[in-house]
Amino acid sequence: MINYLLFAAKRFLQLIAVVFSGVSVAFFVSHLSPIDPVEAAIRRSTRNSNVNPEAVEKMRETLTALYGVDVPMWQQFTNFWSKVVVGDFGPSLLSFPTPTMDLVLRALPWTVGLLLVTILVTWCIGNFLGAFAGYFQDNKYLKTFGLVTMSIQPIPYYIVAFLTLMLLAFIWPILPLGGGYAIGLVQEWSWVFVLSVMKHAILPILSLIMVGLGLWFLGMRALVSNIISEDYVVFAELAGVSKPKIVISYVMRNALVPQLTALAMAIGGIFSGTVITEQVFSYPGLGSLLVRAVNSGDYTLVLAVSSVAVAAVAVAIFIVDLLHPLLDPRIKVE
Amino acid sequence: MSDVLTVNKLKAYYIMNYFGTKREVRAVDNVSLTIRKNEIYGIAGESSSGKTSLIKVFAAAMRPPFEIVDGDIKFDFGDVKIDPYAEDKSKVDALRWSHFSYIMQGSMSVLNPVRKIGKTFEDFALKPMGVSKAAFKPLVIEHLEKLKLSPDILNSYPHELSGGMRQRVTIALATVCRPKFIIADEPTTALDVVVQKEVLSMIRGIQQEMGSSVVFVTHDMSVHANITDRIGIFYAGRLVEEGPTKLMFEQPKHPYTYHLVSSIPRIGDTQRRTSLEGKPPSLATPPNGCRFHPRCPIATDKCSQENPELIDIGQGRRVACFHSDKVKPLAEAIQ
Repeated sequence: MINYLLFAAKRFLQLIAVVFSGVSVAFFVSHLSPIDPVEAAIRRSTRNSNVNPEAVEKMRETLTALYGVDVPMWQQFTNFWSKVVVGDFGPSLLSFPTPTMDLVLRALPWTVGLLLVTILVTWCIGNFLGAFAGYFQDNKYLKTFGLVTMSIQPIPYYIVAFLTLMLLAFIWPILPLGGGYAIGLVQEWSWVFVLSVMKHAILPILSLIMVGLGLWFLGMRALVSNIISEDYVVFAELAGVSKPKIVISYVMRNALVPQLTALAMAIGGIFSGTVITEQVFSYPGLGSLLVRAVNSGDYTLVLAVSSVAVAAVAVAIFIVDLLHPLLDPRIKVE
Repeated sequence: MSDVLTVNKLKAYYIMNYFGTKREVRAVDNVSLTIRKNEIYGIAGESSSGKTSLIKVFAAAMRPPFEIVDGDIKFDFGDVKIDPYAEDKSKVDALRWSHFSYIMQGSMSVLNPVRKIGKTFEDFALKPMGVSKAAFKPLVIEHLEKLKLSPDILNSYPHELSGGMRQRVTIALATVCRPKFIIADEPTTALDVVVQKEVLSMIRGIQQEMGSSVVFVTHDMSVHANITDRIGIFYAGRLVEEGPTKLMFEQPKHPYTYHLVSSIPRIGDTQRRTSLEGKPPSLATPPNGCRFHPRCPIATDKCSQENPELIDIGQGRRVACFHSDKVKPLAEAIQ
């Protein structure tokens, strides 16, 4: 137990290092870009009018001080971090002076909810069905299911997303076309609101599951078809151990470790996938926010969204890593 | 009747059919034998002589493309008589471990790496023993002590045990339900001689205490000399000679047995060992007549045309050779 806590602490330090370097890279990438945020803001506000050059000069001075770009890069960097550690990413340039953190926090629950449900459903069901399909290779229902997932798998995600949208929201309009909840509702803990949120989440989640399920199903099936010829499975069969027990405790249990590793590696990719999901279904999450920020050159907002994304993915992988020694006793915690 | 297992003219082949090309591997060809109550029956022969295939038939562990072509096999456990291939599969499964068990080859990989030994014992033996969980644990611990294993191992994972311990755990798993019939496939091959000797005497001890029958498969003739009561020698899927272990070592009647037995080094014997020419025949295209004739030093024309039947020659021995009277007793050959 002490060993495990030490391992967790060590792994936590690693997490902090990863988040620090990830956010720092995001900082430098955005600050080294040739777009000058001050000039961009001045251009935006003087685009349609004749402004006195002296006023422009004044504006430039004010904005430079406001954005904190009047000091050398290393100082900007330390200033940035001293604010970030207390959760302040500065004001959004587009929705000035709303703090970017407010915008991010408003969008975060939508994305986290979407991802959590999809990952849990696809990973659990995909692995469960995959294990049974790998063990009972002659079962015709599982065979059919395998064929269906295998034919959906190669279709690019955005096409699957549009297809579900067209079929279930346009041709046969039983589900809403987009958004996070019905227009006009107040965000509160009421049945009407919660039901509306659930109804609006069905399509994005369904499209993500359709594509994600096959990945875990096919991976697990391939893993299991190898494991069933392992000596310990054959030995258990010869001892007359019941089939469900063999599938769950002998086959699935041994395949879970590599599948968990695969999950840790896939989380980052799944997160970037939601950018497309949220665009297609105009879902009010981080992905939509990020696209809007990039399109309008709101670079403090881009930085805030990518930093939160880096932290979220790193934390998810951290949790998966903590599960590892609990699943496989051969992974020594020292 | 005192025979636990009766096998009659058993033919079991691997039949493969790829794109219209049929290929038969005759791994078990026309084998008849009986295993008596309370004996250790050794099965010897070189690699790919059909030893493991034969005991797969015994253990009802056959998987396609391996199938029985002809002949029959009957178990008589005293309370139950069963033909494992005529009956429903679930009936056979119900007898597993309670009536017959199997010690698998390769103790390093037969235990589930992510399951504690104690849990594996529960999976394997709780149902066949028909006792409550509370009564089960003391029985297991008592049995482990017979095999000189500490009860602590029930809380360990397989990777925390040494090779010899894992082998003993496998043996304990297969014997804890006190089955009447135990199949042991090379249980000592991966072990060094010191551990091997220990494990062998444990198998012998447990077998005598429970009065079960053991089919013991290994290619190591010195292990056979140590532990078995009777030996059956297999060559290319056929039983070529069978008899009490002592007689087989002193007076082999089949030229192949003769070469097997004389290959064992003995103290004080400085004679150079020679190996047989050639290699074991392919079981897909075995030679005509006696399958050993291409390598046999005393073969005649008859051997290459006719297949010698396994005939009774007294003293509980059977041999399949036209020229068994020409095989010298081993003692003479050494001098």
